[in-house]
Amino acid sequence: IGKITGCVFPLQGAGQDVGRSCILVSIGGKNIMLDCGMHMGYNDDRRFPDFSYITQNGRLTDFLDCVIISHFHLDHCGALPYMSEMVGYDGPIYMTHPTKAICPILLEDFRKITVDKKGETNFFTSQMIKDCMKKVVPLNLHQTVQVDDELEIKAYYAGHVLGAAMVHIKVGSESVVYTVSVNKYAKSHISAWIDKCRPDILISESTYATTIRDSKRCRERDFLKKVHETIERGGKVLIPVFALGRAQELCILLETFWERMNLKAPIYFSTGLTEKANHYYKLFITWTNQKIRKTFVQRNMFEFKHIKAFDRSYADNPGPMVVFATPGMLHAGQSLQIFKKWAGNEKNMVIMPGYCVQGTIGHKILNGQRKLEMEGRATLDVKLQVEYMSFSAHADAKGIMQLIRMAEPRNMLLVHGEAVKMEFLKGKIEQEFSIDCYMPANGETATVTTNPSVPVDISLNLLKREMALGGPLPDPKKPRTMHGTLIMKENSLKLVSSEQALKELGLNEHQLRFTCRVQLQDPHSDPDTLHRIYTHLKSVLKGYTIQHLPDGTVMVESIVIKVSSSAEDTNAKVLLLSWSYQGGEYFFTALCIVKRLMYQ
Amino acid sequence: MDRECVSLLPRVCEVLAASGSSLPDDTSLEKLLDWFTGLTKAGTSLLESCPCLLEFISTVVHNTALDPSILSFTLRLTGFVAVTEVAFKVLQESSVLDLVFNLQHWQEAGLWEDPCIRIGWIQGLRTMMQHPKALSFFVQADFLQPLLQLQTDKSLFVASAANQMLAHVLLSCQSVSSVGSNDVDEEGEDVGRSGGSIADLEYSAVTVETNQDYAAVVTAISECLKKSLVPRENTQLHQSLQILKLLALLLAQTRPPLWEKLLQMVADSVDELLVAGYSQLILPLMDVILAAYSSCDVNRRAPDQRVSRLLSFMLNIRKPADLIQAAAAFLRRGLHDLVHTAQSARVLLLPLDIITGLNLLTTTADEQRFLMMEQLKNKTSCISLICVCLTNTPQMTLMAADCLPCPPVLIVTAVLSLLKLCSGDSSSPSSSSSGCREVSRNVIGSSKVQKCALDALTALSGSPGVEVKLAEVFTLLVQCLDNPDSDPTVLQKSFQALVQWMSVCSDLSSITDQHRQDLLQVVRKRSCDIRWEVRDSTVEFLGRLAGVRVIQTTAEEASDASVAVLGGCCFTTPLLRAALQDTESYVRASAISALAQTLAASWQQGAALTQEQTEIVNQLLEVLSWDTEGFARRAVVRYFIAWLSSMSSHSCVQSPASSSLLMPSVRSVLSRGSADLDWEVKVHTLELAELLLDEAFSGQRGYTKGNPTQTHPYAVIPNTLHTRTHNEEDVVGVLNSLVQWGVVSALLSGLVDCDRPVALRACRLLITLREVVCPLSLGALDATAAMATVARVTCELPGCGWAREIRKMLVMKAKDANAEGGVSGGEVVNCDDCGEAGQEAASVGGQTPCVSVCEVLRSLDLDERLDVLTRSSDHVHNSPLSLLQDILTASSARSQPDTQQEVIADCY
Repeated sequence: IGKITGCVFPLQGAGQDVGRSCILVSIGGKNIMLDCGMHMGYNDDRRFPDFSYITQNGRLTDFLDCVIISHFHLDHCGALPYMSEMVGYDGPIYMTHPTKAICPILLEDFRKITVDKKGETNFFTSQMIKDCMKKVVPLNLHQTVQVDDELEIKAYYAGHVLGAAMVHIKVGSESVVYTVSVNKYAKSHISAWIDKCRPDILISESTYATTIRDSKRCRERDFLKKVHETIERGGKVLIPVFALGRAQELCILLETFWERMNLKAPIYFSTGLTEKANHYYKLFITWTNQKIRKTFVQRNMFEFKHIKAFDRSYADNPGPMVVFATPGMLHAGQSLQIFKKWAGNEKNMVIMPGYCVQGTIGHKILNGQRKLEMEGRATLDVKLQVEYMSFSAHADAKGIMQLIRMAEPRNMLLVHGEAVKMEFLKGKIEQEFSIDCYMPANGETATVTTNPSVPVDISLNLLKREMALGGPLPDPKKPRTMHGTLIMKENSLKLVSSEQALKELGLNEHQLRFTCRVQLQDPHSDPDTLHRIYTHLKSVLKGYTIQHLPDGTVMVESIVIKVSSSAEDTNAKVLLLSWSYQGGEYFFTALCIVKRLMYQ
Repeated sequence: MDRECVSLLPRVCEVLAASGSSLPDDTSLEKLLDWFTGLTKAGTSLLESCPCLLEFISTVVHNTALDPSILSFTLRLTGFVAVTEVAFKVLQESSVLDLVFNLQHWQEAGLWEDPCIRIGWIQGLRTMMQHPKALSFFVQADFLQPLLQLQTDKSLFVASAANQMLAHVLLSCQSVSSVGSNDVDEEGEDVGRSGGSIADLEYSAVTVETNQDYAAVVTAISECLKKSLVPRENTQLHQSLQILKLLALLLAQTRPPLWEKLLQMVADSVDELLVAGYSQLILPLMDVILAAYSSCDVNRRAPDQRVSRLLSFMLNIRKPADLIQAAAAFLRRGLHDLVHTAQSARVLLLPLDIITGLNLLTTTADEQRFLMMEQLKNKTSCISLICVCLTNTPQMTLMAADCLPCPPVLIVTAVLSLLKLCSGDSSSPSSSSSGCREVSRNVIGSSKVQKCALDALTALSGSPGVEVKLAEVFTLLVQCLDNPDSDPTVLQKSFQALVQWMSVCSDLSSITDQHRQDLLQVVRKRSCDIRWEVRDSTVEFLGRLAGVRVIQTTAEEASDASVAVLGGCCFTTPLLRAALQDTESYVRASAISALAQTLAASWQQGAALTQEQTEIVNQLLEVLSWDTEGFARRAVVRYFIAWLSSMSSHSCVQSPASSSLLMPSVRSVLSRGSADLDWEVKVHTLELAELLLDEAFSGQRGYTKGNPTQTHPYAVIPNTLHTRTHNEEDVVGVLNSLVQWGVVSALLSGLVDCDRPVALRACRLLITLREVVCPLSLGALDATAAMATVARVTCELPGCGWAREIRKMLVMKAKDANAEGGVSGGEVVNCDDCGEAGQEAASVGGQTPCVSVCEVLRSLDLDERLDVLTRSSDHVHNSPLSLLQDILTASSARSQPDTQQEVIADCY
């Protein structure tokens, strides 16, 4: 019996909370870390997973066989440079080509914001990000990568964000599939999506487990409407974003809309966040969604006609405009500076396209705070409109159910979600698919037992002998029982005949005999008793060889029966029965008969 | 404590106690606890300053329908509140305490299943246990049993917290009962108490009666340790593991009477565990033994006989993998024990001995060798064992010679031949026996072993007497670099090892021309590798090599390693210039830094400027203007910083030709760099500006290099500092050239930058500049003729961007000054009266207005600005007050769902 354990171990604090992923899977003696995310809500060590829970003495490199990153979001890869360069991990890190290209941009962006905002020094440096990325081995889709002799991984398209992947991890006959959120697009060409690989466990995120979300198109339309209305009434729109991801998608949306509506108001993109990101979106166009791909054929989506680079003096220009500025939570830098300038005018609008952690201006205004305290005891009146729009493409219940139908896992493990919502999904899965569904809290381990198939060689002699006995020819589709001796030698298993086993192991053959005494009352002499037994057995056991030997014993096949009487009481007879290991199967038949005789 | 926070806290408590669901931000409660932790540490009594907490706790604890995260928070909060004895009493009297920590209460509510309740319970108790009353409470409530059960909790975090809590309890009992026993038995042994775990124990309060309770706790815990240590079946290994962890904690911290008792209690069980030979428990067992062993060491006691015996047993285990683990664990501790150290070294060298066929060990027991050989025949365990051995080799070579079975040189030889095996070269001596051949086949092509071996080789460069191996190391590393199968990390580590060996050995006389040729070839090949990671490592190597000082015996003079082995600039510069065009920005940035390192020598020697250098500068300026990546642009500014600082530190040999190229380039760098989109480029640009300031005013009185805020605001500044004894014409000249170079514009544009580090640095430099040219202490600008001359130096404030912001600030200041009836600020901007319209007109008219530098410096309220900038920008939003406000607004937003959209915790 094999065992696969999956341990969810993000941070201290033992709840099930949303935010960051870091899962440790032990399968077939291999330890694999799935994702290495960070929490943006903390400014101290709590933002990173505590790796001392994994191994205190040994180095991480000795313990882990590999790290696999599913996609570029910081809650899945943000702790990677910390782990590899500060804690110390030298082993292989796998991610898809686009993720490898985009990951350092986001890490760098985040490092700059952190250092900028807090002046923190105990944080990874640019050099560390680079050194970490140099250890990354890029994955191609549907390509099986051999991590070592026993462990292999294969990536599939997940469609959550550019470059996101599901991974199939296999050691021997045991396997695990890990996936992030699967979005609608991925489902639309599901046939090319994942093999029916029947993993022992399917590990899936379940952030939006219960939400059957309104379509993305609806949200996009809503977004454009809001921007348009603000521009029409002469207001300015600020969209705080992080360097990559949603920023590009929203740009495409606005660019197309401007073109269609023939709008003239300028759209600006600040701090040069586009160049490299756009470059990668171009490079990995085959990974992006169908809509973008289709438009791309007609014209280059990333050479914007309406979107121009931003200069800080433009913020004071009169008239309407739209500005994308970093960082995304309004906690420092350009976006905050522009926000301060525009906050006082009710004609303006800020659209937050993502989640904001506590301790940021973004968080405050999303909660409806209208008077903000600023440095030096100044207060800022927020009169502009505040809108929140989530554009993230997380899996909803439907996506996960469809994935299960496709991959047919034996067990399900839900992570990265709120307890209540996960409970709902768990019930649904167990009901529909009758498979076990686990939802470990942070720091908990789920263990699943497997039945690994063990390959065994068989000796030619044994096969020949089996053939000589007749019966159908060996057929790989029809399993058949064979008898032989199993030898474990030099890490391989071999089934041979017992003679060959003895020879190979240099052992002598021993005969094993078992004996047993049965008491019975019989007034006859010993030879008479024996004879009575003989005749009785003869009459009952048809088809068996039964002999009455001259040395005063009866033999049923290889079972020997002898009679003796005790010195004190001649009526009390003791039957001595003795049989060899091979004779065991007849023995019990004989014994039953003898015992029946006793009561006659 | 902040009064505003105190006034908000009751409402926050109400909100928390009433909220059915968790807060939208999962960090809020943690941050709230952080605040309470800070207050408690500062000695504030929470109950006194926030009496509302008592009511909060008692309300919440009765409402089990609340979100478990709030309940968990309350458990932990109770710990903080009850940290003082007075508050503890209040809580106990109001019978809150009993309910909060009542297990049955949580179990009946079905909440104990939730790990966050369990961890809250443990942490709450743990925080509270700082005084004997809390300890008595713990003992009387009989919390020991549940705590023991939690040792094997299914949650890693709960189990670990329970583990530490148990250690804390035992140590607390030790402190209390040993004090008690001092009174009773007058046992004077524990003078050097290590305890310290209970800070403010009031020993007098301890009665003999409770003393017996504590003794019972100690006995119960040790009994439990003894009982649970040996697993009855395989599934209980986890429990043994936890108990071993606890034991290691305890043996490291307890003092003699208890230490003895513990050891005595568990000795048999440990023996039993050792004999059972569970591989998973080897490391934790070793931790326990070593904790006990070092505790003797620390307390200057002779090693306990039992402990020494256990240690010897561990270092003689039969299972090879376990043995290696034990030996490595022993060496890691770095204990002073010759016998065991030597033994560990022998154990760890055995696999290397076997696989390489080199006689590292003169004698080994045949059985051990045979077992090890068998183990190494399995590929997976072979690789992991070899890696453990390799990791420990560098430390071994630094041990006393009598601990080491062979000289360090031989270990280097072994690592080298292992590396050869990895790349499939079987000409090493190991081919002697078939067993060795079989084993060595396991490491062929293993990049894990290669990486480990290269790390070891790099570290071994510092071992005594290994310099003789340089040529051999060199050859092998070049082979590694040439091998088409090497993965990028292996190549990177090979380059690093090469640099390290050359810098440590420094005498390169053993390096032949053939060596050099081979290296040249491989560097050329790798500099155009298809993988950017490899190209980057190659370029980094070229840079680092230039920084290594070596001696070539033939030339009898010191040079850098780049010159010595690669022929210097004529080989490296063309490669690096080609790398400037690389498609990967990381490589471009590395190439720029490497160029700076390569050219540093020629700058320092003041060599004449070459055509090539001019071309490089042009290329770099282009990178600064056009490169899409911050890395490369940052590297360009750093290049000029390096150049400028090497020129100024070697001013005696400054060549006019090179400065004729340098100064105009610096000017371009300042103007382009300060307009960059990347704030780090801007910070570096300001660093360049600082260098120019340093150079311009070096030796000038009043010029303090670096950070002006370092002086205490109330410190008396000696008058002499401000006495201007230098020639004011000098100052005028210097200031004029600073304006011309663009230093002043760079500083002013930095001051209004949206990124704090830029603004902060610019502000500091502007203050420095002000202090040297026109200190405020000297009064009005026209006070003296000298001042008036300096005040006439002007700089341009163009009509757009940063300058507009500066002008706005000046206008505001002027208005303020006028409003106050002052006149001094009136003539700040000399173009006109400086109304908004005037400004616009000036820029529209194409005129670029000029302002007096001194006036600007004096009118910008730099000190006030510095004050704001010095505090990190989120001091307001990350303050406890802001946190409390956020919790309140979040709750009011949720109570009006119509007006607010749901904010979902999303990915970022």
